[in-house]
Amino acid sequence: MTKQFDVIIIGGGATGAGVARDCSLRGIRALLLERSDIATGATGRNHGLLHSGARYAVTDRESAEECIKENMILRRIASHCVDETDGLFLSLPEDGLEFQSKFVDACRAAGIRAEVIDLKEALRLEPSANPALIGAVRVPDGSVDPFRLTMANIIDARAHGAEILTYHEVLDFIREQNRIEGVVVLNRKTGEKCEYRAPVVVNACGIWGHEIARKAGVTVNMLPAKGSLLIFGHRVNNIVLNRCRKPADADILVPGDTISLIGTTSSKVPFDEVDNMYVTADEVDLLLREGMKLAPSLAHTRILRAYAGVRPLVASDDDPSGRSVSRGIVVLDHATRDGLEGFITITGGKLMTYRLMAEWTTDLVCKKLSLTARCTTAEEKLPGSREPEAEVSRRMISVPVAQRESSIYRHGDMAEKLPNGDAARRSLVCECEEVSVGEVEYALKELDVNNLVDLRRRTRVGMGTCQGELCACRAAGVMAGAGKYCVQRAKEDLVQFLNERWKGMAPVAWGDTLRESEFTMWIYAGVCGLSNQKTE
Amino acid sequence: MKFDSVIVGGGLAGLVCGIRLARAGRRCAIVSSGQSALHFSSGSFDLLNALPDGTAVTNPVEAVAETIRQVPEHPYARIGAERFATLADEAAALLSETGVATEGAATRNHYRVTPMGELKPTWLTLKGYVYSADAATLSWRNVALFNAEGFLDFYTKFLADGFQRMGVACEVHTFNLPAIETIRKNPSEMRSANIARVFDREENLQALAEILRRETGTCEAVLLPAVLGIDRYDAVERLSEALGRPVAVVATLPPSVPGIQTQIRLRRCFQQAGGTYMLGDTAVRCEMQGDRIAALYTNNHGDIAFEAKDYILATGSYFSQGLVASMEGVCEPLFGLDVACAADRGAWYDRDLFAAQPFETFGVRTDDALHGLREGRPVENLRVIGAGLAGFNPVKEGCGAGVSMLTALEAARRILEK
Repeated sequence: MTKQFDVIIIGGGATGAGVARDCSLRGIRALLLERSDIATGATGRNHGLLHSGARYAVTDRESAEECIKENMILRRIASHCVDETDGLFLSLPEDGLEFQSKFVDACRAAGIRAEVIDLKEALRLEPSANPALIGAVRVPDGSVDPFRLTMANIIDARAHGAEILTYHEVLDFIREQNRIEGVVVLNRKTGEKCEYRAPVVVNACGIWGHEIARKAGVTVNMLPAKGSLLIFGHRVNNIVLNRCRKPADADILVPGDTISLIGTTSSKVPFDEVDNMYVTADEVDLLLREGMKLAPSLAHTRILRAYAGVRPLVASDDDPSGRSVSRGIVVLDHATRDGLEGFITITGGKLMTYRLMAEWTTDLVCKKLSLTARCTTAEEKLPGSREPEAEVSRRMISVPVAQRESSIYRHGDMAEKLPNGDAARRSLVCECEEVSVGEVEYALKELDVNNLVDLRRRTRVGMGTCQGELCACRAAGVMAGAGKYCVQRAKEDLVQFLNERWKGMAPVAWGDTLRESEFTMWIYAGVCGLSNQKTE
Repeated sequence: MKFDSVIVGGGLAGLVCGIRLARAGRRCAIVSSGQSALHFSSGSFDLLNALPDGTAVTNPVEAVAETIRQVPEHPYARIGAERFATLADEAAALLSETGVATEGAATRNHYRVTPMGELKPTWLTLKGYVYSADAATLSWRNVALFNAEGFLDFYTKFLADGFQRMGVACEVHTFNLPAIETIRKNPSEMRSANIARVFDREENLQALAEILRRETGTCEAVLLPAVLGIDRYDAVERLSEALGRPVAVVATLPPSVPGIQTQIRLRRCFQQAGGTYMLGDTAVRCEMQGDRIAALYTNNHGDIAFEAKDYILATGSYFSQGLVASMEGVCEPLFGLDVACAADRGAWYDRDLFAAQPFETFGVRTDDALHGLREGRPVENLRVIGAGLAGFNPVKEGCGAGVSMLTALEAARRILEK
């Protein structure tokens, strides 16, 4: 059976989700296909930095302007995903002060508020900052939760009629002469193949868009650039810390939720590694060494895990060698570029500009479908951000305060939908992150959760200091109890989940992180007697 | 303060060694920071479930020689294949004398039922805990499995599935009591040890018996999570009598009630034998005199030195901080003993958490008499026992409790024979 849509979007990152939402708000029947879960690519593997644009002000004025505009929009439409922390650009003795004045001028020219502040004031605002600093500039940086942001887009797209299919992989395109008419898809949950048709297909696959474009018969030259980051065990800083110099490795420390993140490194990697990135010991050493210059206390702060994402750098069309790459937004209409009708690639850009990328893409989709509907995503608030938190909190007054605040923090005004009326639902699955049985049940029912890793993206189960040590099995128990899967599958899922956590812990497994890992191993491999069937 | 022996670490190894020495008339002190790996106990004690190369073991006594051949620096090599069976029996007898009654034999592993419904080979299982003699059957064909309502650290569904695979029909029930309801008001309090304290009170155990009597139907046996009292040991027996049929328990996720109970009993036994147990104290530094330890200092006692003829290090591995890993390497922080450890951090780990992790085999180097080595030379009055030793993988080989107890007894034997 073949189903018909107006547009098919491939890729469930922030961009794909944004396109799905924009299209549905404009009345276009959209289907989004994601081969894994939402936000599993670069969307979920970056700093979660709500850029003010200051970082690009000197080197890339256009990006800087886009950033500050989107920054202000996201504060409004995605308030429950955004933490308005502000940012400081610190000049250290080794940097000198020369860059600072150039930096401030460039920020102001791009429309970014940039305020040179007194050194004492900087340390008062952010006590973790390196006291050796010689200059500080305050800018409107912040942090943004990419999982929440993507989910909110998905929820709104679905509410406006979009169909979202995760664990659906595009195997091939249906092509009639010089026109793409649909896709052949593998449902990875059932193993079934099916076809979906639409007059326009959007490739929003990040680095994987390279391969998707190839399947469609066109070439988009992408360069996979690996960026590694470290997560620290608590919120070291409350203000985003940057180095006031030309952008370099490991020069941004971002507070997000209960943790802080330092990143990134940057290195070219081959395409065959992009599905399975491991952070190396050298990268860890570099991140720590540079991170300590921003906040010296990182030297004795526990590192929770390391992870890496892949930026899809796009080679300019006139430079096939790939030396000249753009970090700006790239929308490719393959009809004009390659003579292939019905196919669009959206790539480049950054998490910060996902909405603008979606807007430009949807404008092009509209043009192809001969529609004139206007983009409203800059005004329409996302679900979760539509009501003031204080108001939601007042209505949930019967829920214990820690759970209430955590669930509002994570789900915004949707927190009210969490079943939490009785003691059974208020039982805690995850103590580190205050996730209740009710929140897990809500995620299972409403947020399209297929396994524990999906659940983590929606609720933060297993993201705290214990990295899933005790909550993982509780969550698996709740999922098996809810009939999500059978016991055998639940155990396999647990093993996979713990190994996914271990992948991030192993590069930094010394000190308390190794203690935690040893404990996890005793509990699961020892006391519980679980084993990895895949390797045994 | 002067003692014959000062033991650093109050877990299974430290307590067993302390009991053995105190009973032989030695003046002993144990310095214990509090928690130990016993708090994560499964309710069973493993001796040897697999050879270092992964081959499954059914008879630990027979397999120990091959273990030593494969890994000559294995802690069991310090004991020797000849003495292994004797010490294993001595350990089982010691547990039993302290009131920790177990079933099982060193010549034949049996199988404990894990909280996830798996079967794992083991040596000794606490009386009253569910086990299978042959990894295929239980003593019953149909059972009723009860859990406290809202207790998330016990997986009735997983267990029922495990029982069904053994051909045992399993009905699942929940129970509730006003005292448990009170605990649930604070969601993070609903943990095994807190529930267990509820059943320290007689009226609560009787109320549970009443519920079970009402709801068990015709099943052959009644199974419960191991949360039936911290400071009482008769709950299973009492419920059995009340119901007129076997009652047994299955371990939960930590904290481990059977582990806490075992630790309490061993500690009492040590104290009854005249030992001094310093709870909540941590040894922080030592004074060396040539190749001997002259004195030991702790957090609580400041500059008051502990002096002893013999010192025993039983501080465990990473979790208990008997071993401390940093970016540069693994060290033993108290005496600065030599640690067997791969130099390259990349070689510490396997990418599969469930594979044999190299870091688990890192540990303190000793000579054949369990003297800790410092820059290659034995510290003459220091023995090292338990999880901090090099050369074994407690999880993969299933020998953690065995290494702790047997090296404890071996060290005590050598000290007493001097």
